Amino acid sequence: MIKMNNPVSETLKSLVMPEQHKYTPIRHIAVALDCSPHSIASLTAAAELARLMHADLTGIFVEDINLIRMAELPFCHEIRMYTSEPEKVDSSQLERSLKLQARTAKESLQNIAEQFMVKHSFRVCRGMVPAEVIAAAVEADLLVLGRSGRSPACHKGLGSTAKKALAEGKKPLLFVRPGFSAKEWPILVLYDGSAGSQQALGTALDLIHPGTSLNVLLLGETREETIEMEYQLTNKITIPGSVIQYYHLPLKNGKTLLRYIRLVDSGLLVLSDQMKISREAVHQLINEIDYPVLLV
Amino acid sequence: MKLPSKLSPEELYRTCNPQEFDFNTTADIDGPIKATGQERAFDAISFSMGIKHDGFNLFALGPNGTGKQSAIMHFLADIAPKAPAPSDWCYVNNFEKPRHPKALKLPAGKASSLSRDMEHLVEALFTVIPAAFSSEEYQAQEKDIREKFQEQQADAIGELEKNAAEDHIALIRTPAGFAFAPEKDGEVLKPEEFMMLKKEERDSIEEKIIVLKTAMQSIMAQIPKWQRETQDKIKELNRNIASFAVKPLIAELRNTYEEIEEVTKYCETLEADIIENFDQFLEKESDPRELLLGIYPGKFSQKGASFNHYRVNVIVDNSSTKGAPIVYEDKPACQNLVGDIEHISQMGTLVTDFTLIKQGALHRANGGYLLINARRLLVEPFAYEALKKALRTRQIRIESLAQLYSLVSTVSLEPEPIPLDVKVILLGERSLYYLLSVYDPDFTELFKVAADFEDELSSDIEGKLAYARIISSIVHKDNLHHFDKGAVARIVEHGSRLAEDATKLSAHIQSISDLVHESDYYATAATRDIVLAEDVQHAIDAKLFRSSRISEKIREATLRNSILIDTDSEKAGQINGLAIYSPGGQSFGHPGRITARVRLGKGEVIDIEREIEMGGPIHSKGVMILSGFLGARFAVDQPLSLSASLVFEQSYTGVEGDSASSAELYALLSAISGVPIRQYFAVTGSVNQHGQVQAIGGVNEKIEGFFDLCKARGLTGKHGVLIPASNVDNLMLRNDVVEAVRQGLFSIFPISDVDEGIEILTGKPAGELDITGNYPPESINGMAVARLHEMGEKIKKFTSSSDDKNE
Repeated sequence: MIKMNNPVSETLKSLVMPEQHKYTPIRHIAVALDCSPHSIASLTAAAELARLMHADLTGIFVEDINLIRMAELPFCHEIRMYTSEPEKVDSSQLERSLKLQARTAKESLQNIAEQFMVKHSFRVCRGMVPAEVIAAAVEADLLVLGRSGRSPACHKGLGSTAKKALAEGKKPLLFVRPGFSAKEWPILVLYDGSAGSQQALGTALDLIHPGTSLNVLLLGETREETIEMEYQLTNKITIPGSVIQYYHLPLKNGKTLLRYIRLVDSGLLVLSDQMKISREAVHQLINEIDYPVLLV
Repeated sequence: MKLPSKLSPEELYRTCNPQEFDFNTTADIDGPIKATGQERAFDAISFSMGIKHDGFNLFALGPNGTGKQSAIMHFLADIAPKAPAPSDWCYVNNFEKPRHPKALKLPAGKASSLSRDMEHLVEALFTVIPAAFSSEEYQAQEKDIREKFQEQQADAIGELEKNAAEDHIALIRTPAGFAFAPEKDGEVLKPEEFMMLKKEERDSIEEKIIVLKTAMQSIMAQIPKWQRETQDKIKELNRNIASFAVKPLIAELRNTYEEIEEVTKYCETLEADIIENFDQFLEKESDPRELLLGIYPGKFSQKGASFNHYRVNVIVDNSSTKGAPIVYEDKPACQNLVGDIEHISQMGTLVTDFTLIKQGALHRANGGYLLINARRLLVEPFAYEALKKALRTRQIRIESLAQLYSLVSTVSLEPEPIPLDVKVILLGERSLYYLLSVYDPDFTELFKVAADFEDELSSDIEGKLAYARIISSIVHKDNLHHFDKGAVARIVEHGSRLAEDATKLSAHIQSISDLVHESDYYATAATRDIVLAEDVQHAIDAKLFRSSRISEKIREATLRNSILIDTDSEKAGQINGLAIYSPGGQSFGHPGRITARVRLGKGEVIDIEREIEMGGPIHSKGVMILSGFLGARFAVDQPLSLSASLVFEQSYTGVEGDSASSAELYALLSAISGVPIRQYFAVTGSVNQHGQVQAIGGVNEKIEGFFDLCKARGLTGKHGVLIPASNVDNLMLRNDVVEAVRQGLFSIFPISDVDEGIEILTGKPAGELDITGNYPPESINGMAVARLHEMGEKIKKFTSSSDDKNE
């Protein structure tokens, strides 16, 4: 269980959260940087959250060991987008490029962190990217990743680092896509009454600010069950200056859920993989959905 | 010889009897104002306005202030409303050639409505186009196209990546592109691990990588093509969406103006341009650089100045015009006539577009009448040439003068010329008309009709009533007090005085108008509701007084004998001539002493004024005529043995005119004969070689000038003036002069021949040749002949004694 130290929502959260859950305050946010558009979006979102939660921010840049090894191979050539002939990869040039990327990432971090006035640090590691990011973020209370990074095929789904983080059960995890703003976009929570969904709702309440709206997608076996959930939540939660909208949905497979989430067209999706639907289905959902996701 | 009698008071001033009028005051006069006595001019105007062929434009000639413009305006006001209102004209953007804006011709009143409709269209486009492009449908389609491209790219690379993975080769993203490397368990082989492989394996890997690189290269080669295809698809989508949004609006506009072919054609190009440039209607955030430079949004400019090109620049709006337009261009500068292309400064550069085309008077008058003062037209640089060009080519072509003469070097326009159908009426003095006729061959081609306005009206009842109507119209127009018929009669009399002809009335409306206003002023000062004759007289006297400073100064100097004028005694070789002075448009007369002296000589008459180059050519001509007269009268049988000199005493400014030639002749005759001339007479009139006295100008002022001096010294009954008999009709003398004549204190003699004049001036008969060919010895001519004979003898004697000495 995480605890967001937003004083406005403390009382609200206590109404929702079971007392036996212990809160882990987010004091440290790690964000993976690789100069891709997704990574810049991650950095901005992480800085916004750090500002909201009074947390520190750490930027992690990983020098891809695969690249370095490849450059040392005798026959290795680079095929560029707009030049016809492949060119021999030079190790020293590659080193310089990586250093330049690291410096650019650091400057981006500094600029954005100063803009949001958050304390920040920057780390450069060398190794396999997914493993190094997760290792570097081991002390962080929240890891922020771009949905996809610099993977060659630029597929719509999650990138390799995101997949690994998901697979290794690192939580909480925030997957960001460009254009997302934690302050302005509405929040959608998946709630099915499970402990995991209660955590998700509690986290969402921490992120709510006056003016933003909260959409709660109630998942139940029957219509009566979701009505009961809404009744209970309505009695417990009222947020001054914000609107809470409830949607009822029969608990079915992930594809139906995906379609409904798209219909609601909210911003940040907050969910847990400890819900009544299977963990694999949740991971599948995260992989397919084109919204920023906070997995708690 | 029978001497002419003195003129009677009735001959000195032709009164206008108020009883001739059938109204009491000008308030009783109504009905249209008819210009009387200008039939010739009106016939020319009517002809010029009626004929439809080219070049039959009008030049109205006559002195300024004769009411040419008013008369023409009245004439046009009758015929213009009967003509149909001309078309509207506007300029719109030429989307294909923006430097050549298109001129659209529309029925009267339609141009401004098209302009409004275009503004509404642009406003609507700002709503419709953003709505279409922010619709879910568009967003989804655009996203779909872009994602297809991404997928196409990702699939191709993904497929290659998959193939490579099967051979344990990884596709790696480098900082600038892609590369392939052998892998093991997701990690690229270290160089030492690779070198530990068997040579066959290494070769196999390298070969596979070469194949993969080739495949990757072919994918890379296709990416720009896919991008182009994607871009084309997005463009096509945009075009379809924009077209769907724009077409109904343009169709509405086209339906409104379906009967105007030019507008429907314009709509087609407009539609194509809007669809092509739809993105300008999409909301964009202001460029912070623009804000820094102080470029702030306005109504139309808020979305950028580019929206100017959808505006309609209405050049001629005849929505409220009734009939043919009548335009008087007060400042006929070139750009005021044919229009102008203005520029605005933008970031230090002069720029222009079709919205900055300005109309000229020719545009406003197109289909009607344009009045221009010829003198003002000629003093404006290039204006006359521009007007002629427009009339010759029958179209208005707007050209930037600065551009034409390379005064500025910036982007300018060449708007489509507008067809011209106008009657131009030039108003000017006669001299201008004659000069233009002689020196400008185009002028006679383009201004074939001349309306020659009379300077005078006949002083019959028609003329007098015309005056009354003019006075009435001035009173009504300027809200003055009405004039009673006595006052009107007095103005009529003044009109004759202005015309310097008792049988005519001046057609100088401006002078009449001034007198009417001044009379009204004095009537108001006297708290009268009606202007009376005494107010008119007051105004005339006051005006005379206001301008009499110089004449009084001269008279004062004469009374103090600083200027020597004898009005009492009798003297030989001396006479009072009458000169006229015209400082600042006001004329007054004053006597001047002319003296003649004779001596032995060879018959020449020396004009001292000419000798010192202070005499004008006409004056010199007059003096030479005297030589001719003297020679014919006294030197037929013997040579003239004298030399005579003539001079205007105390004249310091030069002399011109021949009106003193009779006086000079009298002085010469007196000097030759030795008979004194009565100095209480003054003389005016020119003379020919036969001794006939001829008419001169300014007779009234001259008589009054001598009268004023005599009156100041005291009228004795002897004083008088000799004037040419042919000037009697010009007499309209002041009342005090007429009164003095009536009382026998002053006399005016009409003279036809110098012999009559010399007899009156000397009291001795001039003398006529008897049957022996001699003049009576006691006559002036007889005494002159005797004196000349005596002088001839002296010369002969002198010549023979000189010859003797020489021998």
